[in-house]
Amino acid sequence: MSELPHRTIAQCRADFPILQREVHPGVPLVYLDSTATAQKPEHVIAAMDRYYRRSNANVHRGIHALAEEATALYEAARDRVQHFINARTRKEVIFTRNASEAINLVAQTWGRRTIRSGDLIVLTEMEHHSNLVPWQMLAAETGARLEFIPVTDAGELDLAEFERLLARAPKLVALTHMSNVLGTINPVRAIAAQAHAAGALVLVDGAQSVPHFAVDVQALDVDFLAFSSHKMCGPTGIGVLWGRQSLLEAMPPFLGGGDMIKRVYLREFKTADLPYKFEAGTPAIAEAVGLGAAVEYLESIGLDAIAQHEHALTAYALERLEEVPGVTVYGPPAEKKGGVAAFTLDGVHPHDIAQVLDRHGVAVRAGHHCAMPLHDRFNLPASARASFYLYSTPADVDRLVDGLYQVKKLFGE
Amino acid sequence: MPTRQESIDFILDHYEHPRHRGTLDHADLVLRGGNPGCGDVVTYYLRLDGDARVADVAFEGEGCTISQAAASVVTDLILGRTLAEIAALDQNTLLEQLGREVVSTRLRCATLALNTLKSAEQPRRAGLGA
Repeated sequence: MSELPHRTIAQCRADFPILQREVHPGVPLVYLDSTATAQKPEHVIAAMDRYYRRSNANVHRGIHALAEEATALYEAARDRVQHFINARTRKEVIFTRNASEAINLVAQTWGRRTIRSGDLIVLTEMEHHSNLVPWQMLAAETGARLEFIPVTDAGELDLAEFERLLARAPKLVALTHMSNVLGTINPVRAIAAQAHAAGALVLVDGAQSVPHFAVDVQALDVDFLAFSSHKMCGPTGIGVLWGRQSLLEAMPPFLGGGDMIKRVYLREFKTADLPYKFEAGTPAIAEAVGLGAAVEYLESIGLDAIAQHEHALTAYALERLEEVPGVTVYGPPAEKKGGVAAFTLDGVHPHDIAQVLDRHGVAVRAGHHCAMPLHDRFNLPASARASFYLYSTPADVDRLVDGLYQVKKLFGE
Repeated sequence: MPTRQESIDFILDHYEHPRHRGTLDHADLVLRGGNPGCGDVVTYYLRLDGDARVADVAFEGEGCTISQAAASVVTDLILGRTLAEIAALDQNTLLEQLGREVVSTRLRCATLALNTLKSAEQPRRAGLGA
């Protein structure tokens, strides 16, 4: 894999072919839905295309040249991810289908082996469904109890309540690093230290953090981290579970099949070593290559530069949105959040906002954003959400605000 | 076929001036439906005549423009029909009336009301009792 030359934020927009298109005749695209999925730079698209044109073969099996090449590319992607999140060893980097599968893997292996009836699992009210439902399933099966760190009106975790929950000796604290609705960036490092002192393990849903700012698993000192490739400029169909080696080694396998075994007899099997123990069947090879290219691309710009850019843009967006009469933005102020602005407009349903904005080329999400309990918390059936990434610009925000005035005009306000 | 603007005007008219909005005392049937994904909800109150045809209808609801406009449009579609006839109604009739181009990305919103009314016939067919 060739090293990409350093590039600046200002140059990067041209790297994304889709951002050059018109979404309706004469209407250029303003993509403000990166929290749902990020767009892909040419570098990623080309890497996957090249893989299928030149190197496609199955991995870890063949003796022939292509099989070796495919395996080398697949494993190089793992190395890139290892360094990207500063994991101690490549054995700790498990490729899954997405962040959801990574969390399910932990719930179904570590959880089923460890959690007993009455054990406490602490989650938060701001979780994405992917960090709620797997634990609800585990609780239904084992009789575990679930408790939730409340979200304050300002959209932050109630840490005093968290301390009270810790006194009840939970086995696990599972929380998002950054809310996909409020944008709140949670103090994961401090939370992990407290949780460990109380004897709990810590799982972090990094689906919204890993793409947007530097995440170092050793510095955070957590136990599991889950994230998805497609939210970080990589392809869909691949995600990552990072876990502490000692924990992963003690966990039973997740799915059974090829690749995850060392030896199979008719009635039993021996599991493969890490990380293959958790990667049953032919993996998403081209997608891993794409993820590796995405990491390389993000590193060529620099995660700090990306975070800085998004921070400034979010501050601008909140300022502009709040000047629109009737708009309410949810979550903490710009300095405490990532590039997400969930909002409502008085008297107009979020779906109607999104549909009218779409006519003006502006893509936002409307609904519950896979966080129904959080919407319940704020008594909202739904919200509209604009979200930003490295390629988003102040001009995008201006088009959003112009569009909102069109919405108001249509609904006679 | 209506133009896009005509469709929008038609939808906004039904949204802002809904037909048969309210409740019915002594309703024979009360049907509730919702799209949990977006918070659209409708409740229909139906009174049936001696031939089991809809003699009167009223609805309440909350949600986006398309779901609530469709809920209003549907009331005129069902008056005088039996539950079996309602269950057999083609949703395309409604979609054409609302303007297919405008509602094509919002089918769940557009069909919530009609599907709620069609559900009146389902429990009996499934033998679960009304």
